[in-house]
Amino acid sequence: MVKKITTAEFNSMDKSGVSVLDFNATWCGPCKMLAPVLEEVSEEMAGQANFYSIDTDENPDLAREYGIMNIPALVVLKDGQKVDMNVGFAPKDALKEFVSKNI
Amino acid sequence: MERYDIAVIGTGPAGLEAAITAKVRNKSVLLLGSKGSSDKVAKAHTIQNYLGLPEVSGDKMAQAFLDHAKGMGITITEDKVNAVYSMGQYFAIQCHGGDYEASSVIIAAGMTAMKPFPGEMENLGRGVSYCATCDAALYKGRTAIILAYGKEDEEEAEFLAERAENVTYIPQYEYDGKLGGNIIVKKDIKPVSIEQVADGMQLTAEDGTFVADGIFILRQQIAPSQLVPGLAMDGNHVQVDRQMATNIPGLFAAGDITGTPYQYIKAAGEGNVAALSAVSYLNSLKNK
Repeated sequence: MVKKITTAEFNSMDKSGVSVLDFNATWCGPCKMLAPVLEEVSEEMAGQANFYSIDTDENPDLAREYGIMNIPALVVLKDGQKVDMNVGFAPKDALKEFVSKNI
Repeated sequence: MERYDIAVIGTGPAGLEAAITAKVRNKSVLLLGSKGSSDKVAKAHTIQNYLGLPEVSGDKMAQAFLDHAKGMGITITEDKVNAVYSMGQYFAIQCHGGDYEASSVIIAAGMTAMKPFPGEMENLGRGVSYCATCDAALYKGRTAIILAYGKEDEEEAEFLAERAENVTYIPQYEYDGKLGGNIIVKKDIKPVSIEQVADGMQLTAEDGTFVADGIFILRQQIAPSQLVPGLAMDGNHVQVDRQMATNIPGLFAAGDITGTPYQYIKAAGEGNVAALSAVSYLNSLKNK
């Protein structure tokens, strides 16, 4: 499952292990396309990584903190530290590979 | 939304032959591209080696292709494709005029002569973007440079300028627009390269440099790997096997886009193979 979170929730949540942050916006076409594919990836990788969705309109500070200039952007955190980033839509296999290589 | 069996992108010999073959195999076909076939065909002087059409002029050949497709009941949907997304079980095709869905896709969009600037691909998604309307909201209070290649880009500039602090608009076409306000128009600039600097992105031109938080490049043509995110390339061409299959299941390519020789009959032949491979793929989906 990809869980929608706010900046406040992000700041207070447990970030141990691998977290995948999906920075998006409601008006962004490629983001809308990415969401259902990422949802499938999150189901298949349950237990290996936690998936979160962050609306950049509602949470501009978080987007700025992670240097998001283009969306959709996926940021991988390991114990809270940014280790990788992928910008733009990607098919399911490529997404899985991107997350897996960071586990 | 109607989901087509096969979407074909491009109306040159590869695309038209793919659509005809798909139709012969009784598949529903969405054919996207220019109604006048390919410019490259229509403008050719004489073609001497196309089987059955000896010493034919380019415009006659294009007309023969289009008549053949029309005779089979194939219509061309004139729309510009922005992106093709592999959604797993189907493809979402985002066009200028609307969105479409298809179970399989054949890319026969021809070869683009477009060459990225040094530094462009390395910074794509990290300050370089191809879609101003997509990323506009991230530019609130920030600055942007737009490299524009057509009059329609002026609208994108205005959209971005509503959010950004200021926009430097660098037209690469004959500009006679009325952009103003926080949009600064810089004419007769020849861009050379792009690089990341301490305070953002720098565009180096033949006679000076420009710095902003981000650079938007709004070319008319999109590289195949941008058109289809995740598509594997072989140099400037789409990587295919003998079945015309790409690395993405259900996605096939044909014609000049797959590589040399750039010959009309080779393109048409590949269109035929790609359509038959797409039919096999559709059958394998059914048997799953």
